[in-house]
Amino acid sequence: MNAKQATPGSQSSLRESNRARIVEAIKHYGGLTQVELAGATGLSAATVSNIVKELAVAGIVHTTPSTRSGRRAQHVTLARTLGLVVGVQFALRHMRVALADASGTIITEHQLPLGNDHRADAGLDRAALLIADMLESVDAMSTDVLAVTIGLPAPIDVRRATVSTPGILRGWDNVPVAEVMRKRVGRPVYVENDSNLGALGELRYGAAQGCQQAVYIRVSQRIGAGIIIDGHVYTGAQGTAGEIGHMTIDEDGPICRCGNRGCLETQAGAHVLLESLRGSHGVLTMRDMINLALEGDLGCRRVIADAGHHIGIAVANLCNLLNPSRIVVGGDFARAGDLLLDPLRDTVERSALAGVAESMEVVTGTLGDDAEIRGAIALAIDKAGIHADVGATALEVPTFSYETTKEDR
Amino acid sequence: MTESHENPGPVKPGTRPVLSLQKISKRFGAVHALTDVDLDVHVGEVVAIVGDNGAGKSTVVKVMAGVHPQDGGTIVFEGRPVTIPSPGASQDLGIATVYQDLALCDNLDIVSNLFLGREALHGPFLADGYMEQEAIRLLRTLSARLPSVRTPVSQLSGGQRQAVAVARSLLGKPKVVILDEPTAALGVSQAAEVLNLIGRLRDSGHAVVLISHNMADIQAVSDRIVVLRLGRNNGTFHTADVSYEEIIAAITGATDLAPRRSS
Repeated sequence: MNAKQATPGSQSSLRESNRARIVEAIKHYGGLTQVELAGATGLSAATVSNIVKELAVAGIVHTTPSTRSGRRAQHVTLARTLGLVVGVQFALRHMRVALADASGTIITEHQLPLGNDHRADAGLDRAALLIADMLESVDAMSTDVLAVTIGLPAPIDVRRATVSTPGILRGWDNVPVAEVMRKRVGRPVYVENDSNLGALGELRYGAAQGCQQAVYIRVSQRIGAGIIIDGHVYTGAQGTAGEIGHMTIDEDGPICRCGNRGCLETQAGAHVLLESLRGSHGVLTMRDMINLALEGDLGCRRVIADAGHHIGIAVANLCNLLNPSRIVVGGDFARAGDLLLDPLRDTVERSALAGVAESMEVVTGTLGDDAEIRGAIALAIDKAGIHADVGATALEVPTFSYETTKEDR
Repeated sequence: MTESHENPGPVKPGTRPVLSLQKISKRFGAVHALTDVDLDVHVGEVVAIVGDNGAGKSTVVKVMAGVHPQDGGTIVFEGRPVTIPSPGASQDLGIATVYQDLALCDNLDIVSNLFLGREALHGPFLADGYMEQEAIRLLRTLSARLPSVRTPVSQLSGGQRQAVAVARSLLGKPKVVILDEPTAALGVSQAAEVLNLIGRLRDSGHAVVLISHNMADIQAVSDRIVVLRLGRNNGTFHTADVSYEEIIAAITGATDLAPRRSS
């Protein structure tokens, strides 16, 4: 795509960058009138009008007449000839809802903080309301939605679409998530583990692109993994594969939420790290801890390094089993970068078989926080059976990126 | 109840509260609105004040905002005992209050609303360019989704209006921001914007006092929860330690956590 870009500084490159600016603004706000577009982009009304006309002809945007302060106006949204998909990610302390077009480009998204031990009924209700709000903001109807994917931070029984192990995500136990949500939104709903979605996201769009054998490790409030075998995310017989957080690290360790002893999460889960800082640092949030570590706070650096070491033991075992070529670390702690990764690498080198560790690299994900939501959208597109190529538009806008997706796994 | 719940201490040990209310009392005629209420607010934390109707939440806010000076007790701001006789005094100290009705002028655009009553001047003229730049900068720090700073407020959604009201309160570079029922009467996506906004205020080093009825919102964004019941303290909790049921029990009086005072 870059090869076709016009020479910088020329008239056409200016036009191109203005076009990109307008598309960005529409993506950011969901939908805008032309007058608001002019305000948001800083371009003149005439330029906006010309470019919008061009984009509409090319089928990239869609205009509908509306009114603004009693005057006639053009409401501009991204075109969605193929329909939309929705990705919903529930984390332990927040949820994220994103609406994307058939090419996987996120059109609009919302994030909402959640309390400890949030409940399924309230969460799904809010998600459904957010979806309805977002559809309205882009002038779409619920019938435009082809599929909804929900990611949850717990082992998922994919066929029954429930949390398979009680106690891990209190408030969601025994809730038939897909069924409840299908009743709310009236469209097909799929439920998947968030680490598996993260793995899919990094596989399609991020650091695991082109990898046949890789493991995605999500280190956040909890620790999970998504396993990529032969270029596909491996989910296991029931769908719960990759629960690295519940790998036994210390047989005599403390009891975990899952009911076993000494799981990785009882050594390196965020709540354990925060608890160990409580005496010296008071009550921190996970984000505070990571920020302090990045600023050079020794105590925070130490607990993150210790976590890296513990995760490294589990990863070394996993590497001996699977022999991946790349380990992609994502989740909130990926932001800590080498503070987490260096001790992790050291431990893997020490504990994994010599040849295994050398043929493998440990990297941070390139999608950051977006890995799970992008994966949710990729899965929804797969389930809806659209091929991304069809979503390609006649006119190439530099900010549009779409990938050729592999067949449904 | 365990002892740790009755006095959980500051969120960050060793830090002095930026604003501390000590044994505040307030009477309206025969009504004892507040009796010996204590409240500490630290930099970089969100303190939620919860309670039933008539528990005294709004009265506490009005004491801090200088609308109703207290009858008894002391207010300590940054280590100094202070009096807050008027809203102006509260603002001068560095306490900004955003009321439920937001007090915005619908017919004016965002910039005019932000600088209403304190317009920046360039010689005898309005410094329009400066005000616009400043407005854009402020709203950007709040990551507010607003189309243009010249949009009249009447065309904004509830969440966007809240963002403008919060941005206006930040103009005087306050240390404490008080938000009275910021998510009441908002749709879910606008409420989401406001909750994210509260998180960003906290991260930028403000002390935030949040009054709300919505327990889900409080659990989502607060660091500490102060329960008031019938004008008295009835427990202070670290949000991380407490369940929804325990807070409801404290609000309704099913558990009595009022501090015992020998005097």
